[in-house]
Amino acid sequence: MTARSLFIPITLLLVIAFLIGPFLIIVAASFSAGETLAFPPQGFSLRWIAKVFTVESFRASFGMSLFLAIGGTAAALVLGIPASYALSRYKLPGAEIVRTVVSAPIIVPGIIVGLALLRYIVVPFQVGITLALFLAHTALVLPYAVRVVSASLDNLRSDIEEAAVLLGSSRLGAFFRVVMPNIRGGIMSAFILGFVTSFNQVPVSLFLSGPGVRTLPVDMIAYMEIVFDPSVAALSSLLAFLSIGIVFIAERFLGFSRYV
Amino acid sequence: MSDASYLSLEKLTLAYGDSVAVANLDLNIRKGELIALLGPSGCGKTTTMRAIAGLLPVKSGHVRLDGADITRVPANKRAVGLMFQSYALFPHLSVYENVGFGLKLKGMRGTELDTKVKSGLKSVGLSDFANRKPAELSGGQQQRVALARSMVMEPKVLLLDEPLSNLDARLRLEMRTELQRVQKETGVTMIFVTHDQAEALALADRIVVMKSGKIEQIGSPEDIYNRPTSSFVADFVGFENIFPLENGKMKTSAGLIDLSGHLSSGAPSAAGLAWRPRMVTLGTGPFQGTVRGTSFAGDSREYLLDSAFGPIKAEVEASRPTHALGDALVFDLPAEKAAPLSRFV
Amino acid sequence: MFQNRAEALALALPAAIFAATVFLVPVVILLSDGFRAPAGGWTISAYTDFFSNPLNQAVFLRTLRLGALVTIASAVIGYAAAFAIVSLEPGAKGKVTGLVVLPLMISPVARTYAWIVILGRTGIVNQAFQALGITEAPLRILFSETAIFIGLLQLFLPLMIISLISALENMPKDAIPAARVLGANWFQVFWKVVLPLTKEGLVIGGTLVFTGSLTAYITPAILGGSKVLMLETLLYQQVAVSNNFVAASVIAFILIVMSFAANILLKRVATARNKQRSPQ
Ligand SMILES: Nc1ncnc2c1ncn2[C@@H]1O[C@H](COP(=O)(O)OP(=O)(O)OP(=O)(O)O)[C@@H](O)[C@H]1O
Ligand SMILES: [Mg+2]
Repeated sequence: MTARSLFIPITLLLVIAFLIGPFLIIVAASFSAGETLAFPPQGFSLRWIAKVFTVESFRASFGMSLFLAIGGTAAALVLGIPASYALSRYKLPGAEIVRTVVSAPIIVPGIIVGLALLRYIVVPFQVGITLALFLAHTALVLPYAVRVVSASLDNLRSDIEEAAVLLGSSRLGAFFRVVMPNIRGGIMSAFILGFVTSFNQVPVSLFLSGPGVRTLPVDMIAYMEIVFDPSVAALSSLLAFLSIGIVFIAERFLGFSRYV
Repeated sequence: MSDASYLSLEKLTLAYGDSVAVANLDLNIRKGELIALLGPSGCGKTTTMRAIAGLLPVKSGHVRLDGADITRVPANKRAVGLMFQSYALFPHLSVYENVGFGLKLKGMRGTELDTKVKSGLKSVGLSDFANRKPAELSGGQQQRVALARSMVMEPKVLLLDEPLSNLDARLRLEMRTELQRVQKETGVTMIFVTHDQAEALALADRIVVMKSGKIEQIGSPEDIYNRPTSSFVADFVGFENIFPLENGKMKTSAGLIDLSGHLSSGAPSAAGLAWRPRMVTLGTGPFQGTVRGTSFAGDSREYLLDSAFGPIKAEVEASRPTHALGDALVFDLPAEKAAPLSRFV
Repeated sequence: MFQNRAEALALALPAAIFAATVFLVPVVILLSDGFRAPAGGWTISAYTDFFSNPLNQAVFLRTLRLGALVTIASAVIGYAAAFAIVSLEPGAKGKVTGLVVLPLMISPVARTYAWIVILGRTGIVNQAFQALGITEAPLRILFSETAIFIGLLQLFLPLMIISLISALENMPKDAIPAARVLGANWFQVFWKVVLPLTKEGLVIGGTLVFTGSLTAYITPAILGGSKVLMLETLLYQQVAVSNNFVAASVIAFILIVMSFAANILLKRVATARNKQRSPQ
């Protein structure tokens, strides 16, 4: 073996160990029988995985995160699909301004978005925390929705809409009959990307928490500060497998990576 | 409505924002006619078609179809079909569903729909391809689907924007015949855009030649080919010796040349005269020329002469004795063969 | 292109108005807070106050330093990894690329949390060091700049590797053999051929890694603890502990300026090369 032929496997092994190793350790630690988080795990048990499902605050915050990820992404798509359509099909006055405004939330650090929202929307307008979180997550996902949907619209010929109109369809009908079916993959990919982004998002939600209202990752951080047992590891593993599973299925059936 | 104006455009002006693309266009088309729109790139052919289809709002003027003013009728209520250069088939639908798309929107269902779609597919020879997606068809087959999709709607007018330009030479000829057959069988009024004058001459009942958003000439293929009325049309259909005329004198780079002895009656009032290279007589005649270039074209041979008129292009049978570069020759521009032009631009 | 303006605006405005009210306006007001004088009018005294505090200076410099170090380290490792991946067979290439992007799907909380197990007092690293006799007492790795560095590198390395993979794949196939034939050694090949041809990918990856490191919150919060702060964790403390919203606004503004500056600077590096190329 020459130095060069060793270079490739060794590099890959080290890099992948560095990137994936910590995750594997977390997975192993969640099966520990011991009281504290440690590696190698002390014995084998499913008690920590079982415990995840009994912690009341995890259940509540998981529900909240799920609601935000699904609701926020859906709302972002409801706003983002028409906007993407306008940007890609119309001569829109101020198109660049619109594009910048809707994609700005991606550039500004999440913690600032969350704080600004708390100070200047939640407090002055007496907006509930749940609604504020919903607005924040929608704004956060909007740039991804517009980017992915725009890309699939740009890849679709626009004359099929005119053809549909000439065959008797209304403009709106043409959108639902011939545009939507052809950008469905893009929309679903945008949904999954938005879902994962929203679900894993911490900084935006950091300041937006109230009594009993918290997103799951924020709740996990809070839990860890008090109890250092393997249940957070177990929860992390479960969530990771959930995300990976969703993305894997999306890749198989949609070719997810083409869109993002 | 008279029979001569089944579809009529009246003082039609079309614009993109403030830039006018078509100005004050008047055109009357008979029912069942096959019209070719011919003209250089950017002259407004597509713009005119889109306005007839209702895809482009009309700035001023009127579009009338079958007795009704459809100027403000939305595109989906016009009964006008348009075949796109790109075919614009719906990629997510099968051939069958593409053809049935418009019929379903009309509310047609069940066996009526099925019969209609199947006969549409049969008429373009695609019965065996009903379940394929557009991406699984060749260019020519996609074109046929687009044709069937438009035709099953039984449009009052079918517009075709450069329908053959994406096809290779053999398929073009095949589709050309196909279009002609469908038109004859159904009697649908058809307007098609083309860049190719041979295509226009072969297919059309009448040809409309456009230039910069205006109509230059309307006429039968024979009219356009043999009797162009302007220098622009003459040039477009292959007259290569075109000269302005003033009081019976031809303006050339060497000054005015008196042609009054040669001109037949009527012609002296023309604004110009035009000859095809084949109309120029070599070896006899009153004018002097020098051979500047020559090229062999199979059956014939072309000469480029320097003369008092400026350059003259002549075409003679290849069997005639050849002339070498620099040879001095006499030639004639036979006045009785010249196409008199009423406009010189 | 449809021409109807009213329709276009009706479609685009809901999203634009939403983003403007929920995001743009509050953020702009927040950023302006740091410039407001208590008695009315405008001032930059909050900024001079902020930078005159040695503690804040240290946090600011640490943020810059960590951002730069993580970017450089990810570029070096990223090139090695991207080279290795690009030279694999197509099938293996897809699988390995999948493994590289896999961490991006996992919650940053989970990813950062793992390092506590690895770097903690009784973590794997300390166990190994003691077993091998390298150290006697456990090292304090957690809650240090080193820990944050490792956490950030693991978080953002995939972004750099992906950028470099696509840059390497877009490189003309014959460039490297051609340079070798002309007598360049591997170092020269990298420096004179690969680097200039993949600079754009490096810049894209670098921007993502640098701005990501500046604005990461979870990693410094968990691996830096309450003592080793970066700007984001300092901002959080100013709000949550000190209720100092002016300082929070100042930090927010600095973070945004740093991100934008990095974006513009790196973009300029990338376009400088395009200008050189364009005369050909
Ligand atoms: N969407 C548009 N916006 C602005 N101007 C346009 C637009 N489409 C066409 N034009 C202009 O209108 C004029 C006529 O264009 P049109 O497409 O009708 O030409 P055409 O005869 O179909 O040309 P071609 O043979 O190249 O297809 C041209 O000057 C063109 O630049
Ligand atoms: Mg055209």
